[in-house]
Amino acid sequence: MFSSSQFDATSAFAGGGFSFTQQTQPTDSTPSPAKSRETQGLVPVTVKQISEASQSGDEKSNFVINGVDVANVTVVGMVFEKVGRNTDVAFILDDGTGRMKCRRWMNENFDSIEMEEILDGMYVRVNGHLKSFQGAKQLVAFSVRPVTNFDEVTFHFIDCIHNHLQTKSQGEGLTPTQPQLVDTSLSTPMRNGSNGSQTAPSSQLSGQFSIDGLKSCDQLVLDYLQQPSSIGQEKGIHRDELSRQLKFPVEKIMESIRSLEEEGLIYSTIDEFHYKSTASG
Amino acid sequence: MLHIILLQIQTYRSDAGLQCLSLFQDMDTSSPSVFVNAELLRMHVGKKVRAVVHVIQSDGEITTGKSTDEHQLIVKGLPHVSLMSYVEVIGIAESDQSIRTETWTNFGNTFDTQSYNQVCQLANGEFKGLFL
Repeated sequence: MFSSSQFDATSAFAGGGFSFTQQTQPTDSTPSPAKSRETQGLVPVTVKQISEASQSGDEKSNFVINGVDVANVTVVGMVFEKVGRNTDVAFILDDGTGRMKCRRWMNENFDSIEMEEILDGMYVRVNGHLKSFQGAKQLVAFSVRPVTNFDEVTFHFIDCIHNHLQTKSQGEGLTPTQPQLVDTSLSTPMRNGSNGSQTAPSSQLSGQFSIDGLKSCDQLVLDYLQQPSSIGQEKGIHRDELSRQLKFPVEKIMESIRSLEEEGLIYSTIDEFHYKSTASG
Repeated sequence: MLHIILLQIQTYRSDAGLQCLSLFQDMDTSSPSVFVNAELLRMHVGKKVRAVVHVIQSDGEITTGKSTDEHQLIVKGLPHVSLMSYVEVIGIAESDQSIRTETWTNFGNTFDTQSYNQVCQLANGEFKGLFL
C-alpha cells in the first residue's frame, strides 16, 4: 500500500518545519501535514452532516463540510429498501441522524457478489463518493461491508466527532501538533472486527478544545504541564522545554508562567525555571 | 410456472420500489433517533431514541436490561433474546425508563458500553449539531 516504507516521512517533511518528536503516529497512514483535497481519503460523516453540506463551485458537485471540500466519505448505518437491478443496486442508508439514497453500480462481479450479502435491516459501512443528482444528494458507493463487530458503530460516531474537531481547529489556524494530543486512542484502526473493547475516548476530547477554537499561550502552557508525563516529573518542566515544545519564544512563556503562577495554577519547584501544575492530574 | 409468476411479482415490486426512491426528493433528517442512556432518556420521552441495553431478563413481551450508564431500562416489543447479550433498540421513549421497540439489532455478547455511553453524552451535548 502507500505506507512509509517508500520514503522517510520525518526527513521528507523536516524542511517544512514540522516535527513529530513528541507524538508518535500509531496509525498506519503516512503523516501528511498538507491536507490537500486530493489526498484527503475517506471522511467519516453522519447523514445529518451531509444534508447540511453546501456545494462549492458551479456544476462541479464538490461538497463542502466544515469549510473543507469533501469528495469521498464513509458512513455507517442500516440498509433499507434495497432494490437490485442488473445495472445497479440502490438502497437507503439510515444512520440514526437521517436517511439518504445510495447507489452502487454493478461494474464488476465483485460488486454484485458484495451486494448480494447485504439485506434490509443490516448495519453496514458504506464508503463512497458524494454526488448531486437532480438536486438531491446521493452517495455513489464503491464499498458496502456488513458490520460484524458493533463497536464499529460506536467508533464511527466518535470518528465523525473527531474529524469535525480536527477540521474545525485546522480551519482556525492552530499549530498542527495540537490535534495529535487527543487522537492517539481514537485512531487505532478497528474496522475489521477486532475482539475486545477499545479504551473509552478520554474526556480530554471535549476539554482540549475551547469553544472559540483559539488557545492562548497560557492555556497551552497549562495543558502541557497538566499532561500525565509532566505531572510524573518530580522536579517539573524547565521553561526552555516549554518554549521548545510549544514553539513560543521564552519571553512569552515566562509571561504565561507568571500569570498562571499568580492564579495559583502552577508553582516553581527546584528553581525559578522549573514549574509544575498544582492539579494532581 | 410458479417460479415465473414469483419472478414477475419481484420485478414489479422492484420497479415500484424504484419509483418510491425517485419521489424521495432529498435526504430525510426529519426523524433522527437520539442516542440515549438511562439518564438522557428522560429528556426525550415521546421521541424516537436509540439505546444499547445489556439484557438481564427477557420474557417475550417485556425485556429488562442494563443501560450503558448502569441503570435499569424496560424494553417493550423485543422478541425473546438471550440473556447477557447486548441489544440496540430503536424506538419511542414511552417513559423515563422504558422504550417501545420499532427496530432492534443484536449487538452480540461483547460490546464497549463505556464508549457508547460517551457517544450518548457527546451526541446530546457539545456535538448535537452533527446528530440532531
